[in-house]
Amino acid sequence: MRLLRSNLRREEVLPRIRDLVEVLYQEIPSGVGSKGKLRLSREDERRLLLKGAQWAVERGFGEPEDLERIESGGVLEGADPSVISNKAFERGMSQQGTLGSGNHFLEIQYVEEIYDHKTADAFGLFPGQVTIMIHTGSRGFGHQVCTDFLEVMERAVKKYGIKLPDRELACAPVNSPEAQDYMAAMKAAANYAWANRQCIMHWCREAITKALRISPKELGLMLVYDVAHNIAKVEIHTVNGRKQEVVVHRKGATRAFPPGHPELPEVYRQVGQPVLIPGDMGRASYVLVGTERAMEETFGSTCHGAGRVLSRHQAIKRAKGRSIAREMEEAGITVRSAGKRTLAEEMSEAYKDISNVVEVVDRAGLSKKVAKLKPIGVVKG
Amino acid sequence: MIKGIKRIDEYRLEVPIGYTEGMKVKGIIYVDKELEGLLEEGSVKQVANVATLPGIIKASLAMPDIHTGYGFAIGGVAAFETREGVVSPGGVGYDIN
Repeated sequence: MRLLRSNLRREEVLPRIRDLVEVLYQEIPSGVGSKGKLRLSREDERRLLLKGAQWAVERGFGEPEDLERIESGGVLEGADPSVISNKAFERGMSQQGTLGSGNHFLEIQYVEEIYDHKTADAFGLFPGQVTIMIHTGSRGFGHQVCTDFLEVMERAVKKYGIKLPDRELACAPVNSPEAQDYMAAMKAAANYAWANRQCIMHWCREAITKALRISPKELGLMLVYDVAHNIAKVEIHTVNGRKQEVVVHRKGATRAFPPGHPELPEVYRQVGQPVLIPGDMGRASYVLVGTERAMEETFGSTCHGAGRVLSRHQAIKRAKGRSIAREMEEAGITVRSAGKRTLAEEMSEAYKDISNVVEVVDRAGLSKKVAKLKPIGVVKG
Repeated sequence: MIKGIKRIDEYRLEVPIGYTEGMKVKGIIYVDKELEGLLEEGSVKQVANVATLPGIIKASLAMPDIHTGYGFAIGGVAAFETREGVVSPGGVGYDIN
């Protein structure tokens, strides 16, 4: 997830929202198996896997100061291209800088409500401000990494004699070569995702300045934060009163580190880590901030989104005979999508109400509400 | 309410050790009464299954956006010891990062 803030206000953008959504749809490749503007050589891709968002910045996509506002600086050390299959390399070659499909999206939003003014201020957010949210990940590359290593792990389960209640839990001991190779491959995929969102942010800047005929300075499109929500990381946590290294798996869960945590960049050290929680495309998204309580209870983690209530198949059935795009239009949200099917799968009713989800993590203290964002324009794959 | 789980407080449910054979720690699911109504039995089972994995620490955790995923529930958090524990691709999923 990545959130950008701007100098623009909702009322300045609303009259031009159609053009803006169209230009973003044109400039940022989306859809199933979408191919990007970049064609990577194998050597390019190798470097990208090692350097993540840094690679993108070195190629002129964005600014060096963007990096400090990305979890882990946009790059995980220890990625190893030599453990990546040819198939993954091939899928990765053409999909860098693309949105993809499914639940991935690009949204133009505005800040509807602020709950914590001091923290919102530190994050650079104000009421009525236009923001942009980018949700995409490591695309076919990461999917292939997962597929490849599930096979490796199934063999490892037999090799190490691990008893499992479900074969889908295939795993290997942390220090085994199988687990170490998976971590090296997963880090490469994480780096791919950070580079991907960095490229897309750059094209957003270009597209919006062009469409609105304003300078980059007037637009002021800046990174608030970029955070992963499907990742495994070695982190230091306090267990039974002792600090120790643990491997935290977050699957559809977001890191939510508290104020003062040494891994946070200087700009957010005092206030805590921004937590970005997208809702479905019709309702809202939230910005929260990490807490000490999350460190104590959930290894510094909180929720990641609304969570589905209808399967994709059920959603398509429910959408039969309806125009989801028109329904959204009537609700004041301009939408552009590569396929009707995606809009049906992703309609609001297919998800839990994000406000209910966020309320629980806020009241349970796993992260605190800072701001609510409402969509006005959506690009879907 | 799904059988065999119990409410800890307004925001948490416990999946007790024994819900699935071999659980090493309990499961904790962060949901209020309203979201509890949307909880799938399959995802509760997945939270319990994860609690059987070697070297899991403290609890198999799930956030209020929990739903059924590949092996591990989506919305799940699980931490493992570095000496006795494991790493699992299903604990991260296909859409890495």
